[in-house]
Amino acid sequence: MRTTKLVAVATAALTCVALAACSSGSGDEAADGDGPITLDYWAWGTSQPGLVEAWNAANPDVQVRHTDAGGGTDSSAKLLTATRADEAPDVAVVEYNTLPAMIVGDVAADITEQVDEETKGAFTDAVWGLTTFNDAIYGIPQDVGPMALVYNEARLAELGVAVPTTWAEFADAAAAVRAADPDTYLATFAPGEFGFFSGMAQQAGAEWWSVDGETWTVGIDDEPSRAVADYWQDLVDRDLVKVESLLTPEWNAQLNAGNILSWPSALWAPGVIYGVAPDMAGQWALAKLPQWEAGDDRVAFQGGSAVVVTTSSEHPAEAARFAAWINSSEEGAAIQIETGQYPASLTGQELATQSEPPVLMPQQTDFWTLAAEIAGSTLPDISWGPNVNVASSAFQDAMQAAADSGTPFRDALATTQETVVEDMTTTGFDVQE
Amino acid sequence: MTTTTPRAAHGSAATAAPAGAPRRRRRPTLAPYVLSAPAVLLYVAFLAVPIAYAVYLSFRGLRLTGGGAFGRRREVWVGADNYVAALTDPELGAGLLRLLVYGAIAVPLTLGLALLFALLLDMRGARLVRFSRTAIFLPYAVPGVIATLLWGFMYLPSTSPFSWVTRRLADVTIPFLDVPLLYPSLANIAIWGGVGFNMIILYTSLRGIPDEISESARLDGASEWQIALRIKVPLVGPALVLTGLFALIGTLQVYGEPATLKPMTSAISWTFVPLMKIYRDAFLRDDLPLAAASSVVLALGTLVVSIALLRLGQRRVFGEQS
Repeated sequence: MRTTKLVAVATAALTCVALAACSSGSGDEAADGDGPITLDYWAWGTSQPGLVEAWNAANPDVQVRHTDAGGGTDSSAKLLTATRADEAPDVAVVEYNTLPAMIVGDVAADITEQVDEETKGAFTDAVWGLTTFNDAIYGIPQDVGPMALVYNEARLAELGVAVPTTWAEFADAAAAVRAADPDTYLATFAPGEFGFFSGMAQQAGAEWWSVDGETWTVGIDDEPSRAVADYWQDLVDRDLVKVESLLTPEWNAQLNAGNILSWPSALWAPGVIYGVAPDMAGQWALAKLPQWEAGDDRVAFQGGSAVVVTTSSEHPAEAARFAAWINSSEEGAAIQIETGQYPASLTGQELATQSEPPVLMPQQTDFWTLAAEIAGSTLPDISWGPNVNVASSAFQDAMQAAADSGTPFRDALATTQETVVEDMTTTGFDVQE
Repeated sequence: MTTTTPRAAHGSAATAAPAGAPRRRRRPTLAPYVLSAPAVLLYVAFLAVPIAYAVYLSFRGLRLTGGGAFGRRREVWVGADNYVAALTDPELGAGLLRLLVYGAIAVPLTLGLALLFALLLDMRGARLVRFSRTAIFLPYAVPGVIATLLWGFMYLPSTSPFSWVTRRLADVTIPFLDVPLLYPSLANIAIWGGVGFNMIILYTSLRGIPDEISESARLDGASEWQIALRIKVPLVGPALVLTGLFALIGTLQVYGEPATLKPMTSAISWTFVPLMKIYRDAFLRDDLPLAAASSVVLALGTLVVSIALLRLGQRRVFGEQS
């Protein structure tokens, strides 16, 4: 009896080991031998298949298998779960504002050692700042979304309204548009747009999260942010902007009808607008985002992502090499530009200046030069916190409730701040308000 | 997976034992175990184990370990913290209250219309029965998300045909997706999809009533409406209780309609109904343990309400019969 039991236990244990080895990933068997290794790569967007194909063709020893695990929110939720289940890929795309959550969730590995000087030189300091935390590098930047203003050039000219360069001018232009055509608004204010609002607040000098040693400071309710809330509050109260969610069938219809004349957003906006209003090609144009002070030249990012190497990867060196190559080589940049992604690397941004303007604005021949200029004036030291996911859902609910009930937007900031601090304290972070 | 095997064996032994006990004379056979094993195994693997895991998870929490600004979040034991957080969150109660408003519109109308249509179809001299039955049932065959999108477009100001008409007539747009109209708008989607299904259940139950009963009432001089209200409705009581129970559970589990309409209106928050809040906690806030605790609370609540309704229904329906 005793021996059979022992044998059974031993067999079971061996089976477990074998199963664990199988489940922990791809191509591990070959890792010790001479055969090629396989890296799993989770990424979304149209540029990915081309990037992976180009890498695979050039690197027969390190083959990459691409999986589209959904957009930013879905993909990061899956990465956290997969890491806990020990099923995470080797490399993954993560949005800049989710990166801290991926670090404390033990998804993103510290790759400071694997990043060489050449790779470092391919990006501006402002862009590196997005993936560097406490002097450790956690990802290679892929694309960026410096904020910019896209506007309906034809309609604004028709109404005789000049393109605003400061936010004060923007308010005046909004009033002028309303006066010239009561059916038309200069812009929409979508209360739930977390990325847009945080970008505007950062432009005004807000620091929503900052780290000093071991202590976090949350500034969602700081003075610059309140000023931004009050600015939009005033426009909404005077009915100078339309309060509406973006890219809904309703919004698209208004945009196509020429009743919404601009969209303060980012460099990726022309592609999005073309997607919902292809007939408007030639009517729209790109300008710099208005500034708080005349003569200033600074913008934040809205959107953009980096490629991280996961802590679960068995081949971190190869994974980092792949991440660096697709994001800083000329071959990679060419594919990014071709598929509509604005590269984070300087190589890519330079290369972009030689390409055709987006299909929405073929008349704007200086599009890419202007884009590079905007990308060159992005704010350094933008830092996100470990629970941006909590902040964004709390912000959306609080701001939309404020818009619906007519309570002040600045109160919604206070609510969001409270939720974020409470969540961080519960998790165990040292937070100073 | 290793934990399921002993549980399964234990479970099947427990359920099979009483059945085998009285038949002492026969030799014990394997048959009962073998025959019940698939059901028990499936039950354990796909119901008991996940529920047990959810309950276990509801006492865990992701907390910072290792300290520092970039410490790592790891799963630790947190006792009843999640239950305290779930029960003290005003949004859970607010979500239930919103469900109450929605349910107060959707449930009576769905059941009332289903009963009305079933009685009409069952009435003597009813024409086009088969066609009407299919026509009323058809919306149930439309997937919930599709139905919601379809209605969503009919609600949105610039695509709504109703608002188009009212704009022409009186220059007003109907705010279908703003509070308070949002509740009837949401309920309407459920009613549109649910009436057919409930009607079929009630109609089937009506067809089961022997013709002699209606016949004798008719001979006594009862009108068709009197027969319907005094005889048929009480006799389909059990079916009404059943459909009522389905409707109630369906109401507590509302998720698809508000979640699909969310991008179209700012009146629907992430915590609009309890299940949306659970989804947000699990997949937007990465707080699976809190979501597990809220789910356990919601499931227990549903169970209690269902049992109460069944008790009440049985006493009234079956009490009158005996």
